[in-house]
Amino acid sequence: MRCWNCQSEVGAGDVCPVCGKVQPVAPGTTLFDVLGLPRGVDVDKAELERAYRERSLRLHPDRTGKDDARERRLSLERTALLNEAYKTLRAPEPRAFYLLKLHGMDLMRDAARAITVPSNVLEEVLELREQLDSARSAGDDELVNTLSDRVRVQSAAVLSTAQSALRRLERNAGDAGAKNEASQALARLRYHHRFLEAAEGSDEEAP
Amino acid sequence: MAGGLLQIHDPLKPRGHAVGIDLGTTNSLVAAVIDGKPRAFAVDEDGSLLLPSVVHYAPDGSVIVGARARERAEKEPTSTIASVKRFMGKGPEDAETKALGAYRFAKGGSVVRFQVKGGPPVTPIEVSAEILRTLKRRAEAALTGKVEQAVITVPAYFDDAQRQATRDAGRLAGLEVLRLLNEPTAAALAYGLDKGSQGRFAVYDLGGGTFDISILELVEGVFQVKSTGGDSALGGDDFDRAIAARFLEAHGLTSPDAAAVTELLAAARTAKETLTHQETTQLSALGKSFPVGRAEMEAWIGPLLQRTGVACRRALKDAGTTREELDGVILVGGSTRVLAVRKFVAQLFGKEPLRDIDPDQVVALGAAVQADLLTNRERQDEVLLLDVIPLSLGLETMGGVAEKLVPRNSAIPTAAAQVFTTFQDGQNALDVHVVQGERELVTDNRSLARFRLTGIPPMPAGMARVEVRFEVNADGILSVSARELSTGVSQAITVKPTHGLTDEEIERMLLDSIEHAEEDVHVRLLREQQVDADRILHDARKQLATFPDLLPEDERREVEAAIARVAGLRDSATDSQALADAIKALDDLSRPFVERIMNRAVGTLLEGRRVEDV
Repeated sequence: MRCWNCQSEVGAGDVCPVCGKVQPVAPGTTLFDVLGLPRGVDVDKAELERAYRERSLRLHPDRTGKDDARERRLSLERTALLNEAYKTLRAPEPRAFYLLKLHGMDLMRDAARAITVPSNVLEEVLELREQLDSARSAGDDELVNTLSDRVRVQSAAVLSTAQSALRRLERNAGDAGAKNEASQALARLRYHHRFLEAAEGSDEEAP
Repeated sequence: MAGGLLQIHDPLKPRGHAVGIDLGTTNSLVAAVIDGKPRAFAVDEDGSLLLPSVVHYAPDGSVIVGARARERAEKEPTSTIASVKRFMGKGPEDAETKALGAYRFAKGGSVVRFQVKGGPPVTPIEVSAEILRTLKRRAEAALTGKVEQAVITVPAYFDDAQRQATRDAGRLAGLEVLRLLNEPTAAALAYGLDKGSQGRFAVYDLGGGTFDISILELVEGVFQVKSTGGDSALGGDDFDRAIAARFLEAHGLTSPDAAAVTELLAAARTAKETLTHQETTQLSALGKSFPVGRAEMEAWIGPLLQRTGVACRRALKDAGTTREELDGVILVGGSTRVLAVRKFVAQLFGKEPLRDIDPDQVVALGAAVQADLLTNRERQDEVLLLDVIPLSLGLETMGGVAEKLVPRNSAIPTAAAQVFTTFQDGQNALDVHVVQGERELVTDNRSLARFRLTGIPPMPAGMARVEVRFEVNADGILSVSARELSTGVSQAITVKPTHGLTDEEIERMLLDSIEHAEEDVHVRLLREQQVDADRILHDARKQLATFPDLLPEDERREVEAAIARVAGLRDSATDSQALADAIKALDDLSRPFVERIMNRAVGTLLEGRRVEDV
């Protein structure tokens, strides 16, 4: 790639090494690339924070040319993407969902419907929701907390299952079994999330 | 002064000084960095740094801002707008609008409009612009130079409509708004840079009408807002109301009129302030008295403080931190002077809060620092501020459910996209409803805008793919664009804000205000000349009638002609200068005549008669 401003070779860099202008995002750039981190299930948190700060200082609209409309635009886009990368890769759960998405399974979108969650998992989730609703209407905060804790413990186990499946998938992208296992686990995690959101919602409404 | 020279040569700073403005519910301040240090300017007529955020509309069309306006609140409650910040970005049907104050609202429209004396109804944006204009003028006087750029602070919890309204008020006041800065962030900036420290801070900001909590972290020159929360309808004014409610209850008063409410709230406020340095006080209002003790007041405002506690715990959780990991707690806002508040905060966070910088000034000082960072090239490398969006942004989906596209506490700038499809064959338009808030149902959230995508090419149901893209800039302000993916056709969307003014409306107000500003000056000058004309005509006619013998015939004709000219112009002139010239001509012509009258008066006095008898 060549710099749009001075035509120097910029490679995959986010700013031109010669004139310092912010460059457009190259097609196929992953969020790991955006932060300059090695792709994988595990991320060095300190390294992630450092990379985020360092890139913000370089790309943020407050730091780049204010007079050039094109650079302003690119700076805004780059920073928005950087913020998305930071948000997605910082915590293990969204990171796992993102990795699966890189393997062609976007559970946050339409693909979620393509997963058949085993009926015992669904039954379990429905039962938990019922218990939550009755605990809530009875004003039993303690029971709400107990249920939430139980789901959190389960979530941790499910996430760890998803992560080990994703590690296998990262080593061998053709491992259909690993992909299926990761999809199943993360689909289950989504139900847990919704449950916890609902539980916290009731917590916040309490005076 | 080095700063002055720099500004001339600095291409980033082409337009005079950049200031920081704290546009507060109760008081407003303006500050700028001078010789490397932020400083607040005297803004009210008494030399105070705090300009009461009160605007009075007089029957003659003039506008008074500040303490002098506040003095009129009691007599003219409907034409004296206080706490206008609470109305920013609100609609006439918002529950809060009705609960607040003694104002009269114009009917209809999507924006609150106050009916005031001396002119057409005014919107909160126009009222705020009056405050900003006053601050701008005073800063210009203090800096002896033009001020055209400003960083204006907003509560972190302000939603998109409230931010838009604030930005529009800035534009209306003739300011280029460099940035809308969250108030707690501004406060932390004032502290952070002063101390040059690294660390994690909580900023507890309780103002007159809003509460904000933010968790920030300063590491290696990056000031990162980790989370923010609060309540845009909770503040020290609510303490006053809580006290006033007890007073009404104790005296069995049920429906006080507007003037009584204003008087009572002022008295409640005084009582609250007195209790910061006294154990007990007497609240006197409406000819009645009511004893209030510090402990009692603490109990009454307790539930309000608990509400702030809930928001603080949530902010800590959102930031992924605990109170033990905080390096400091910063207090901001006049209401943190209340002892019960300080006690509550110390208990909540398990540490004594910092109060090194005057809590009234700290936000404006931080805004001045940010204005300097953004415009002064010399300081570009010092600190970068990374802020977050306070409330989730979403879209209405089937069944009135709000789907979040940008979750709260996402770092800004940020972008998100959602793909929609059609549900009928050949459908060529799609309605999109943008909402902000954390609740599941659209009706529980704040409606920001509705718009209709048109020109979708005819296709079977479910085939069209329309991508709606949200983009939030560094001010936390949203813009929306849309594209039909299969054809690549971009859609021009006119976003009609649900509660706010369109760009055209703002533009028109801007033009009106400029026209009026010129017109106003003109009218005032002419009126002054008319008063002068009346005085001189009265004197000259009286002198002519009393001392005809002192004026030779030729002089008399000249003076009479000059009198006729002033009298004619007094009623017909539209140009104050022509009238002023005529007045001066008459004055010059009659001077010898007046001297003769004076001489005779002196002579008469010597004869033992009094001047008045002549």
